Amino acid sequence: MVEYKLDCLYEACPIPLLKALKQLEKMKIGDILIMHTDHNCSIVNVVEWTKKQGHYIDYVEIVEGEWEIYIEKAR
Amino acid sequence: MRLYDKIVKKPWPYWIGGSILAVLNVSLLIATDSVWKITTGFLYWGAAVLEKLGYNSADWYYFSAYDHGLKESETFFNNSYTVLNIAVIVGALLAVLWANEFKWKKIKNTRQFFFALIGGVLMGYGTRLSFGCNIGAYFSAIPSFSLHGWIFAVFMFAGAWLGSKILFKYIL
Amino acid sequence: MTSSRIEALKKQKQMEIRKKNNQMHYAVLGTTITFMIYFMLINYHLRLSSFWIIGILLGITMQRSRFCFASSFRDPIMVGSTSLLKAVLLAFIISTIGFFIIQYKTIVLNPDYLITEIPGQLSPVGIHTAIGAVLFGVGMVVAGGCASGTLIRIGEGYMMQLVVLIGFIIGSTLGAKHFVFWDKTLISKAPIIYFPKYLGFFPSLILQLILLCSLYYIADWYDKKNNITITM
Repeated sequence: MVEYKLDCLYEACPIPLLKALKQLEKMKIGDILIMHTDHNCSIVNVVEWTKKQGHYIDYVEIVEGEWEIYIEKAR
Repeated sequence: MRLYDKIVKKPWPYWIGGSILAVLNVSLLIATDSVWKITTGFLYWGAAVLEKLGYNSADWYYFSAYDHGLKESETFFNNSYTVLNIAVIVGALLAVLWANEFKWKKIKNTRQFFFALIGGVLMGYGTRLSFGCNIGAYFSAIPSFSLHGWIFAVFMFAGAWLGSKILFKYIL
Repeated sequence: MTSSRIEALKKQKQMEIRKKNNQMHYAVLGTTITFMIYFMLINYHLRLSSFWIIGILLGITMQRSRFCFASSFRDPIMVGSTSLLKAVLLAFIISTIGFFIIQYKTIVLNPDYLITEIPGQLSPVGIHTAIGAVLFGVGMVVAGGCASGTLIRIGEGYMMQLVVLIGFIIGSTLGAKHFVFWDKTLISKAPIIYFPKYLGFFPSLILQLILLCSLYYIADWYDKKNNITITM
């Protein structure tokens, strides 16, 4: 049950998604990944990909144009 | 307030976006007799800068061949491409402002700067050979029943594959 | 799809969030100026006013739906998802029908049409198309966006895409300067291939629609194949 943070500020598409993908591979079931991103494509493509993989996901807009995405590895 | 959230805040599904873009492209052809094209406008801006610097860019062979020249009463800066391209930028800006999501996003490091510049140059050069980018030579060309749109699609796919390899190796 | 722990994290974060700056007055101001320009253009140059308003709508649509032609090509390769590619194919199906009606009207009026008179985008096809497309594809992935994506992201406030735009302008100016060479070696020998000229009008439409629908079907299958939740 570890929490990981991933800083994706100022990264261009598709780096946030690829970083998340890489990080999730290393994690154990039940671990949580918190992504901090300002790329507004991430809240679509990261969310879509993670759902497809069957993990839990949700996001919050923390400042205008910045989001935190929470992913719980489910399998 | 819920409708506002749905339209302005939540991202629209891709298929809705695609359908609207298609309808807009058809409307543009009906209204102006021209399809959606972008990159020739970038060239015109480059040519305008060169003109300002004292070069005779308007005399280049390029502008006398294949309908590449300016239309009557247009200049390298004052033309339909400039209007359309700036309108697309302004449209995106308005959408972000209404969603309250605007933020200046700085460049992360010199490597990002370098790849952005190289990528831009490659795309720009490519578009002169293929008569357009993935809008002019793809999104507007395939519905026009022209073979070059399909050829462009196939080889852009190959290029994207090669680019992905580079991205995995050097950028990630 | 969310879990109790994510909900807890979200709640906690929402408590911390500072009050946001309201950008709404900029939005109202911007929209007003946009309309003023539109009405000015209607009086001054009707054709440009259509470019302006349709461009605005294109920008809004692409931003809101996060539409990205670059990732419609990149995502199937990188992460095996085709939802954007399917949206592009749907757009092609719609615009193929629209363009067909417009072209058909022109040709019925003038049966001995010249290829240059056909509405749409018809260009010579040959090796130069392939070279240009490969260069474009590489550049698109490396720069993180294509031409339309670059414009949208400039509007969203990305400094990086301004650099891409500068590169784009340099590249296309260089390309135009070298155009004599390419034209002499490759392009001048290349033909414009307009399907209806060879296949007839309705067969071209039907064939193209069948092709697009099959590609859609394949893309859908590919997406599901890569969907691990379903195979589980």
